[in-house]
Amino acid sequence: MSQLDWIVLGGTLLAIISYGLYKSRTSHNLDGYFLSNRSMPWGLVLLSIMGTQASAITFLSAPGQAYTDGMRFVQYYFGIPLAMVVICIFFVPIFRKLKVYTAYEYLENRFDNKTRTLTSFLFLLQRGLSTGISVFAPSIILSSLFGWNIYYTNLLMGGLLIIYTMSGGAKAVAYTQQLQLIIIFTGMFLAGYMVVRMLPDHVGFTDALEISGKMGRLNVITTGFENGKFNWSDQYNLLSGIVGGFFLALSYFGADQSQVGRYLTAKSLKESRMGLLMNGLVKVPMQFAILLIGALVFTFYQFNKAPLFFNEVQLEKLEKTRYRDSLSAVSTLYDVIAEQKVATVKAYAAETGTTAKLSKPELLNQLRSLQKQSDSLRGKVKSWLNKKEIGGDGNDTNFIFLRFVVDNLPAGLVGLLIAIIFLASWGSIAAAINSLASCTMVDFHKRFTKQKESGEDEYRLSKKYTLGWGIFCIIVAMFTYNIGNSLIEAVNVLGSLFYGVILGVFLVAFFLKKIRSGNVVFWAAVLAELLVLTVFILTRFGVFKMGFLWLNPIGALGVLFFSVLLHGLRGSRQSAVDSQQ
Amino acid sequence: MIKDDNDKAPLFGSWRGWYIFVIGFLVLLIILFYLFTKRFA
Repeated sequence: MSQLDWIVLGGTLLAIISYGLYKSRTSHNLDGYFLSNRSMPWGLVLLSIMGTQASAITFLSAPGQAYTDGMRFVQYYFGIPLAMVVICIFFVPIFRKLKVYTAYEYLENRFDNKTRTLTSFLFLLQRGLSTGISVFAPSIILSSLFGWNIYYTNLLMGGLLIIYTMSGGAKAVAYTQQLQLIIIFTGMFLAGYMVVRMLPDHVGFTDALEISGKMGRLNVITTGFENGKFNWSDQYNLLSGIVGGFFLALSYFGADQSQVGRYLTAKSLKESRMGLLMNGLVKVPMQFAILLIGALVFTFYQFNKAPLFFNEVQLEKLEKTRYRDSLSAVSTLYDVIAEQKVATVKAYAAETGTTAKLSKPELLNQLRSLQKQSDSLRGKVKSWLNKKEIGGDGNDTNFIFLRFVVDNLPAGLVGLLIAIIFLASWGSIAAAINSLASCTMVDFHKRFTKQKESGEDEYRLSKKYTLGWGIFCIIVAMFTYNIGNSLIEAVNVLGSLFYGVILGVFLVAFFLKKIRSGNVVFWAAVLAELLVLTVFILTRFGVFKMGFLWLNPIGALGVLFFSVLLHGLRGSRQSAVDSQQ
Repeated sequence: MIKDDNDKAPLFGSWRGWYIFVIGFLVLLIILFYLFTKRFA
């Protein structure tokens, strides 16, 4: 990085911390610290919801995903607008009416303390671990790219935000997220603009799309059907996006305190609803735009030689093994193919107009064939890296966009994009730590401590819990190593293991009014969690294939099914006892 | 500082109108994405 990049990076981070501290003043009680005195307008609620969901890996993984697999990943977000509507109808009015601090508080009201404690515990477990991964994910990428020490990078990534999160609670989180998102969108727009600008003179935006589309990267809608059969192991398609994505979004926005805590800060029910509905409107187009940058980066690398593998550290690792000679041979062949590819795509792009291009299908076929060959060479390198003896990481999806940024964008912009990685991380991590502290304080500390504490005492203790969770997440990040698969997916898989069950408990609470027994729901949740874990383990061992998004409906429907079953069994046992008497 | 909940929906007059709008917008996006996919495939 150049000196200018360092100045931009340092200046942006310092500005955010200062702004967070400036906005830290709030009343010294739980309402002020965790809910910003329920005073936020919907615009701020919207940005806070978006800033919480969009982590660094959203901006790192998504363009890389479009580069390797096309834009179909956007379908994963199709469930969000539907979930927003359901949450506005059923969840928000109850949460606001009961004036809860956490979503799980409602469950004690509806069932019993045991159910509240179980769901809150599952949340703390899942969110605590996934926030640790959220600290590690961007850190390992920056550390590999710039040779930074991973431990110090983790400390910077997870540590600095604790200053304002601890000091200002939900208010500081929301205001910094607002500023962070403005900087992020500006940077991403500039990056997208630069990709198109760096294409050859006669290649415009539509031409870039044309090439990307013809090479299969603009596959926004896919049905998941192969040879007339639905492929259940296909992760991203229209059905899994709408059904699986709906359950995941419903759990995340309706039953995950890191999001519930954001819209509970709104000054009225109307403002909460508006924030959520606006999120339903803007989230899919926003994700589409981020993926489009990845598809354009793909076009850029048709006109320019792309790295054989985007994570250079892993490549260096491979060079020190017995695959050294094979790697050198593959690398030479890859360079030859890359040159042919550049010549072919230039000839294809030189044909003006779609009709002219279609009249030369041989060029397109040749380009596709060359791309297939280079993909196959990349596949070889990946398979070597994935071998146990090497112990490497064969997935470079998260490195594609940043590698492009560092190698090709001008000084200053590189620093801004690195700052974006930090800011996006901070937005989601700060909200997560704030929600972890609120659950610990409200669902556990206040619930199980008999000692009477003043508002000031609770405020001070909440700050300590915030600091404690911040340190916990950094420790998790320090111990996380080599998750392998796309990091955005790792977080989502972890979420899917617990989200469905937590959601299921809320669905029973909202829709099965006859079920009032806490015991029934508690054991139904335990059974459903075991079911989800069994299905997950079976898919991991290859007993059958299934995309992780389906774990959400399985968990949610599992709780509903077991609740009805246990309620029925309890009813028949009760009637047997009654008839004996 | 908790304000009374004024729940009147802006613009559409009712929340139902907003829900239809959000779902309708999603359907429109899916159709546009489908056409986009077809156009550049």
